[in-house]
Amino acid sequence: MGFPDGSKDLSSEMEVDAFRRLFPLQYFERHLAEAIRPDGRPLGKARDTTVVLGAVASANGSALVKIGSTTMLSAIKMEVMTPSLESPDEGCIAIDFHMPPICSPLVRPGRPAEAAPVVSKQLSDTISGSGIIDLKELSLVTGKAAWMAYLDVYCLDADGALFDAALLSAVAALSHLQIPAVSMNDDGKIVLVSDDDGQKQAQELVNKEKRNLTLRSIPFSLTCILHKNYILVDPTAEEESVMETVVTIALDTSGQLVSLYKPGGPVLAFTPSIQDCVALTRQRVKELKGILEEANSTMQVE
Amino acid sequence: MEFVSPEGLRLDGRRPMEMRQIRAEIGAVSRADGSAIFEMGNTKVVAAVYGPREVQNRSQQMSDQALIRCEYSMANFSTGDRKRKPKGDRRSTEISLVIRQTMEACIMTNLMPRSQIDIYVQVLQADGGTRSACINAATLALADAGIPMRDLVTSCSAGYLNSTPLLDLNYVEDSAGGPDVTVGILPKLDKVTLLQMDSKLPIDILENVVQLATEGCKAVANYIREILLENTKQLEYRRGV
Repeated sequence: MGFPDGSKDLSSEMEVDAFRRLFPLQYFERHLAEAIRPDGRPLGKARDTTVVLGAVASANGSALVKIGSTTMLSAIKMEVMTPSLESPDEGCIAIDFHMPPICSPLVRPGRPAEAAPVVSKQLSDTISGSGIIDLKELSLVTGKAAWMAYLDVYCLDADGALFDAALLSAVAALSHLQIPAVSMNDDGKIVLVSDDDGQKQAQELVNKEKRNLTLRSIPFSLTCILHKNYILVDPTAEEESVMETVVTIALDTSGQLVSLYKPGGPVLAFTPSIQDCVALTRQRVKELKGILEEANSTMQVE
Repeated sequence: MEFVSPEGLRLDGRRPMEMRQIRAEIGAVSRADGSAIFEMGNTKVVAAVYGPREVQNRSQQMSDQALIRCEYSMANFSTGDRKRKPKGDRRSTEISLVIRQTMEACIMTNLMPRSQIDIYVQVLQADGGTRSACINAATLALADAGIPMRDLVTSCSAGYLNSTPLLDLNYVEDSAGGPDVTVGILPKLDKVTLLQMDSKLPIDILENVVQLATEGCKAVANYIREILLENTKQLEYRRGV
């Protein structure tokens, strides 16, 4: 009742940091009224994004992505497995998202973070739903051997917009993935071809040389917060904890909607606000596409 | 198998008394009170410290000192073959315990009663010497968090293959079946806080190998001091001193 007025009286008397801790909502609203956020960004601007490919040397494909302070490291390891009976000419991708306790003060060891399985499921669904990879490309010998790609995404620093960063790092790792060269030996088992014995003619090369996967439509996403009439793009962890209504939209490079996720929240979203979010996501997709292409071309130069 | 060639070079081209290249960075995790990345050759480790903060489990609260907790975990992709169970397995639990007890020796826990300090270490790439890299990273992270310590704790490993003491084993040398001695010291006080060895080693050789590992620890300590000094200078510039 007396809260809004009470805080106005106190705001002139207390230090900014104290006001930020005690009345977080009022603190943010004062900024929003000036169309700016505490870290100086305008409402529609996302944080600085960097993508570095090949961060983990021992993995077949890897990427480190930073959106502001949120850091995600993903790596892909390939193993040979027998394909299932229903789809003998398809490989498989297993996606796992981890939030180790280093990433946030809210994560306790022994108890997985609340957000972890949610982001994990979202990530699996988005990547399989977008059709980014044709699983037939992961097949080796129909009915006998196929690739199993284990994609592990680790959150090293959780500062809001976890799904965006996780999706970007998963996609970047897939674009960096190099399928190793293998051949079938006499027992019918698939073995890795190392550089020394590539001369052996007795082994028939199943996969002649290292190759990259062809990526079809690449999904990118953007998380927005809805608060009263404002739409805040790419929230930090502090903003997410204060204003709880979050909308995540994933579009692919051809402009098609891959997924839309609004898990409840106190603010109701009318169609115009969702359309605004989609428009903001469209802009962001162009940015992210450029960043990913630049990262890929830097890798090729090396 | 030959681990030291007749010319005296190891598998990766190092001399027997040569350490791998070390690199450290403070403040990698923005949300942590203190954090650091430590690399020893191809072994890459991230450490984050949260604390001192309120004890989460009231029954464990100690009225005269701080509670130190430590968790060591390896990323699934950190080793050559993908690990299935990165956390609960015996090796991780043992290393968590070792790191906790090593750091407890140097943190001045009696200055922070009724509180909890969490040290989390995550191995991103494992190529031998993960235990040592974790301890070194934890030391830097604790210093970054401003937690009072009696001294730095630095750690290094050494082994004995082909009748030669070798400093800072990598994964291939470690899995060769020879002895692996890990030493952790408080460099200024010149005291040993951690000493672990597995496999067999004649006693007269043990002293040489431990001495070698201690020299390695002192080299790491010098590097860590440089990093901390540089970090402090940066903080001073930012405050306008």
